[in-house]
Amino acid sequence: MFLRLVADSFGRRPRHKLLTGAALALGMGVATAALSVALDVGDRLAMEFRSLGANLVATSRADSLPLEIGGVDYRPVNAGAYLPESDLPKLKTIFWHNNIIGFAPILEIRGEALLFSDKDGEFQPAGWIENVPLIGTWAEHGFSLPEGGEFHTGVVKTNPWWRIDGQWFSDGAKECVVGAAFAQKHGIKVGDSISLARGEVTKTPAPLKVTGVLNSGGPEDESIVVPLRYAQSLADRPGQYRKLYISALTKPEDDFARRDPKTMKPDEFERWSCSPYVSSIAYSVQQVLPGTDVRVIRRVAEGEGQILTHVQTLLWLVTLAAMLAAALAVGASSAASVIERRVEISLMKALGAGSGTVGFLLAAEQLLLAVVGGGVGYALGIVLARLLGERIFGAAPEPTLLVFFVVIGLAAIVTLLGSALPLRRASRMDPAPILRGE
Amino acid sequence: MTELRNPNRAMFWRILRRLLGANRGRLWVMLLALGAGAAVTAALLNLQVDAKRRLTTEFRAFGPNVLITPREGDPTAISESTFDESVLKDVSPFRNEAGMVLANVYLYLIADVTSTASRENQRVVIGGTQGVGADDLREAARIELQSPNNQLCNVGGKVATQMHLQVGDRLTMSNGRVQESCKVGLIQLNGGAEDSEILPHLDVAQRLAGLPGRISLVQISVPGTPQQIDRYIADLQKRIPEAEVRPIRQFTEGEAKIYNRIGGLLTATVGIVLLLTALCVMVAMTNVAIERKMDVGLMKAIGGATQRVVRLFLAEAALLGLGGGLVGAALGILLSIGLGKAVFGVAARPRLIVYPVAVGLTILVAVVSAFPLRRLAGIRPASVFRGEA
Repeated sequence: MFLRLVADSFGRRPRHKLLTGAALALGMGVATAALSVALDVGDRLAMEFRSLGANLVATSRADSLPLEIGGVDYRPVNAGAYLPESDLPKLKTIFWHNNIIGFAPILEIRGEALLFSDKDGEFQPAGWIENVPLIGTWAEHGFSLPEGGEFHTGVVKTNPWWRIDGQWFSDGAKECVVGAAFAQKHGIKVGDSISLARGEVTKTPAPLKVTGVLNSGGPEDESIVVPLRYAQSLADRPGQYRKLYISALTKPEDDFARRDPKTMKPDEFERWSCSPYVSSIAYSVQQVLPGTDVRVIRRVAEGEGQILTHVQTLLWLVTLAAMLAAALAVGASSAASVIERRVEISLMKALGAGSGTVGFLLAAEQLLLAVVGGGVGYALGIVLARLLGERIFGAAPEPTLLVFFVVIGLAAIVTLLGSALPLRRASRMDPAPILRGE
Repeated sequence: MTELRNPNRAMFWRILRRLLGANRGRLWVMLLALGAGAAVTAALLNLQVDAKRRLTTEFRAFGPNVLITPREGDPTAISESTFDESVLKDVSPFRNEAGMVLANVYLYLIADVTSTASRENQRVVIGGTQGVGADDLREAARIELQSPNNQLCNVGGKVATQMHLQVGDRLTMSNGRVQESCKVGLIQLNGGAEDSEILPHLDVAQRLAGLPGRISLVQISVPGTPQQIDRYIADLQKRIPEAEVRPIRQFTEGEAKIYNRIGGLLTATVGIVLLLTALCVMVAMTNVAIERKMDVGLMKAIGGATQRVVRLFLAEAALLGLGGGLVGAALGILLSIGLGKAVFGVAARPRLIVYPVAVGLTILVAVVSAFPLRRLAGIRPASVFRGEA
């Protein structure tokens, strides 16, 4: 009988049920979309912030103070300490290896450059330039990972704002890239050749082919960028580098993250090292690269953390507002659907149904509506979230079960609350005057 | 005609009053739906306008984004790559359309530094600095710290570790025969080049280098949208032809990209939330409107023209929209002030334009959602009264 009554109610007034259901579906659709985007946005934005480049820098702990002005180091090459390149693949073995999206070792030296000019297909020496800053690094260096697969990294990942006309040199080839300002000053074009040397030169070294012109907007524009291997052989420092830039995905730092790990209790330390704070990633990098001093580039990391926290809070608030509005609209429409059924309720009571039975019946109806409406709304919201995600970040958020349960639960609570108030009023009412139509 | 119209109008309003007062429960439901919609609309619109503006201020957490460097000169000869500090009078007024422009002036040289406490001697980069145009309290404090009078200087964390320096130690910097001294005021480790530099006041560095009135770098922090920053750079370059003004691409480009992403995200979320809020309100209203069959039937039975009946219901909807909108939008703006405070720490400035827009939108939604009533025009009163429809 109970089921028949419910089925009858749906069958008798399909239009009303459809409308209430539609309100529910729409409201829950917004809630789903907003919730999915809000859950996903932290990761997506953290990725976006990597366009600011590296947020960690590692140098040798034994290194002397760099005498660097305007990107030019005034130290002699033999001063200071170097780090072994062979340790670098270990970076992808740390606990947070998936968060490390790129790193690039840097070896800076100064040398002489012999330019060749292209005369009728024949290269003619065009003059020496002394004291040229040379930067040895990886453009796109690949190495295989312990768990299989290959990882490509280099300045392309750590300095995404560097623009290149032409293309990067390939690793280990006799190629180089020339800074825009340097190229302009000396009239170097892509396809030219340059010989590089350092110290006493007895014969002309094999020339490097210029494959691109680099525009970095920084001091690199005045220099020549060469493959790390080549810079090492020029500096007579095989397998060594001086500075390492690391770009890692991090979680915004809070007060807990800023504490000194040495003062933490074991359980606190575990919690700290299990959160991808920039400081805990710096700590684990320092563990695998012995002899290094890993510093957080505060300027990048703190700005990023602050903005990320604010934007995320903002989005959560918008989500909350959306859910509130959806809840109110849904509640209002389910309240309306109960109000208009006063006659029916009175009739049931007149026929001897208790307030409990009537309430139960109506609640069952509303719940059924909530589940169906919420389900449709969830599907709608997922599509919407996909559209939004793809439009803004170029990637759709993963649908999660959590959102589904939250949405269905919210739909149920809101419809029940919305109908509870008019139901209470209806149950207190005397059936007789309502049935008489008064 | 006018006599006929006046009582008609009076009747129109009287029916309207009765319609509204007839069912308190229904009235509240409609007002609640409309008010909630208006509140969300107003709050989101206000926050949306405010958040984009605020975002550009947030980006200043990244620090300077524009540099002024000497145009020519050998970069390897420190003393040659300087320019006159008089160019700075062109940076003022330190303002663009988006807010305060902050600048720090630097003069770099390399000097022998001795610590009197730890008796260690090192060659260190000295970056004499001075803030210009700062009215921010924290900035002002930093500059006070470096003022030539109390002879304090900021020391990079790497320098402090290598020379075993502590706050309060006295340093002697010497360049040739010139000597200057300062006291360690603050030790900072922030991952930048400053970690291996000593930063005294600009005057100290100028005396030490023997280059009075010369500077080697100006770092500027320009607020605003990417377009506003580009305009500022172009404008400044025109006014200082002797030096090169260039953006720090790492930050200007990164900021532009992130600004567009977050801006897009906000616009899209707000747009979709508003659209669907309107739809929800509409559905809730339509649900309520359909049960008006009885009233329509009665009105038609006693001779009301369809047009007048529809006009009556539309007027009712508009009135409800106005009421719900006025209250809801005001609440929404109050809400957005609180939200702004929670997110950015500064209360969002209420935009007056948001209020009428939100109220207007609410009325529109209310009237549009009464639209299904047009179908009621086709109702045959008799079948309504017989309880058939």
